[in-house]
Amino acid sequence: MAKIFLDGKPVEVAEGTTVFKAAQQAGIAIPHFCYHPAFVPEGSCRLCLVEIEGSPKLELSCSTVVREGMKVSTQSPTVREARRGVLEFILAEHPLDCPICDKAGECKLQDYYQDYGLTESVFREFKEKREKKVRIGDKLILDRERCVLCTRCVRFLAEITKTHELGLFERGIHAEIGGYENEPVRNGYSGNLVDLCPVGAITDTDFRFKTRPWFLTKGESICPLCSRGCNIYIDYHPGFPRVPGSAKVYRIRPRTNDAVNGPWICDHGRYGFIDLQQKNRCQTLVWNKGERTAEWSWDKVLITIGERVKALRENGKTNRISLILTTWLTNEELFLIKKIFKDGLGVRNVFFADPAPGPEDGFLLRSERTPNRRGAREMGFDLKAPDLNALVPDTDILFIFGPHFAGISHDGAWKPALEKIPVKILVTSHLNELASTADFVLPAAFLAEKNGTLTNADGRVQKIAAIARACFDIRPESQILLDLAREIRLDDSYFGALSAPEAVHHELVKEIPFFGALP
Amino acid sequence: MSREFTADLKKRIEEITARYPSRQAALLPVLHLVQGETGFLSAEEERAVASILGLPPIKVREVVTFYTMFTRKPLGRFHLQVCSNLSCSLAAGERILRHLQAKLGIGVGETTPDGKYTLTEVECLGACEQAPCMMVNFDYHGNLDPEKVERIMEELK
Repeated sequence: MAKIFLDGKPVEVAEGTTVFKAAQQAGIAIPHFCYHPAFVPEGSCRLCLVEIEGSPKLELSCSTVVREGMKVSTQSPTVREARRGVLEFILAEHPLDCPICDKAGECKLQDYYQDYGLTESVFREFKEKREKKVRIGDKLILDRERCVLCTRCVRFLAEITKTHELGLFERGIHAEIGGYENEPVRNGYSGNLVDLCPVGAITDTDFRFKTRPWFLTKGESICPLCSRGCNIYIDYHPGFPRVPGSAKVYRIRPRTNDAVNGPWICDHGRYGFIDLQQKNRCQTLVWNKGERTAEWSWDKVLITIGERVKALRENGKTNRISLILTTWLTNEELFLIKKIFKDGLGVRNVFFADPAPGPEDGFLLRSERTPNRRGAREMGFDLKAPDLNALVPDTDILFIFGPHFAGISHDGAWKPALEKIPVKILVTSHLNELASTADFVLPAAFLAEKNGTLTNADGRVQKIAAIARACFDIRPESQILLDLAREIRLDDSYFGALSAPEAVHHELVKEIPFFGALP
Repeated sequence: MSREFTADLKKRIEEITARYPSRQAALLPVLHLVQGETGFLSAEEERAVASILGLPPIKVREVVTFYTMFTRKPLGRFHLQVCSNLSCSLAAGERILRHLQAKLGIGVGETTPDGKYTLTEVECLGACEQAPCMMVNFDYHGNLDPEKVERIMEELK
């Protein structure tokens, strides 16, 4: 350990720590553009300068290692003046187009100008004109006027993805970021460049000009597009009552968790999530009655389904109920299904229809393209794919959770098979051809619209929360299941007490301690 | 697209890389060598050097564009490099550049149609004591004014 003094305050840090990290540990923020914890310090932005007693000039805190007894000043007048000077040079070439810049509101340059600059420009020369919309990737646009040349993007592509699509060409005032022979950034992690850029130089075509960061609410969640379980922020507009209409998700950003995803997420999750949340959503409760369909209320549908289940139970035939589940369901929902159908009604025909697996990329993206297969396995479910021959003759009532059953065969063999089953109940967040075959279609919540936990492939149990509801009439599966349990009068004393997913989680942990390990 | 260097050039590149702790470290002398052979460094040469030294081509491009001694276009017989950095600008270096532009009838970065002169603007030549200055091929000329430039140009003919 080394003892140093930061702004007069004694601080103990490990040997080899940089002054920047020591300050961070002591809660002192030092402004910076080029420094990023995931990369080797570059020292090119000159903004993290600090004064070190005995040193003739200001030193870079990001690359200076602490020495015993070092006296560092991060806020002396000399330091503030130096930072003001650095900002003045950056701003001399900056277009100041904040009113039309996506980054405005969360821009480091804006923040630091508030803290250190607030000066009138003394430059009377014309600013350099540079290209303002260079397409550098499928969803990436580079604005060379806004760029502060921190090279975070270059280093991300060199150190993390090792694909080397961008470089820093020329020098001095002509220096600019660009691709080799204009080859685009093409890797599964390109969206991270937008998060990395401290200013508005790299923007996302999906987010560009759509909204303002200060209109967005930040929700913490887990990415459901593979079994890695990357931690994410969901930036959304909460909708009603602030504006008419339902909530709208505008972008997904990584939430740093060194045990899972570090500071990154893949493009498959980043862009796939928004599509899933917004497209093909099942929004209305429907009863398909032969030729005509009717929109129904939740109460009526639950009573009707309850009566059918009760009729089977009175005849002792509840084993003629079958389930097709999905691992889009949370641990709590799977647990309720286990308690109601397996333990309560003695249902044996349980299958899983999940999104098709995809290729692994060796970094974050895993081949299991669904968030909770590990959770289902730990719960004691056998994750077998639907077997139509075993299913159809033994089934009077079929509950289908999730839309993926339609994808089990490309020839659509499931369709005539399903038609032989008397009652089909589809509980789904997304619509596909299944909806026209089912008798009842119940609109369910998608993963960011319900509370609960998911278990990633490494067995990590992580929380998700009801954040942004894309449509009004949807209900979380846990609520649908509990209502159904109440309707068929299944052990009222047990299910009556389980109102919220939190209570279900408590019961789950009591029965299977594996799920108690919430981080 | 990649270009094959002659066996002799490859051998000389290997002689250079042998002098450095890692092959990548030999980038600058190898580029000088290749440019001496081929006249200028196009994408073909960059890719070939990159593959020989085990670097991504973009690293080679970064280095080639950073240093004014490397060129990505064919140059005229006389390469006039006029400094536009601080000391020279304070000493009216821009006047020298404008004079040459008018005299040769070409812009910065261009070559005269007869292939004789190429005019470029460079950052500091490291000769601020004789600002404004320029380089003609590998020779320095300092303390310039339009008359002195005229005399230099006479000698070049």
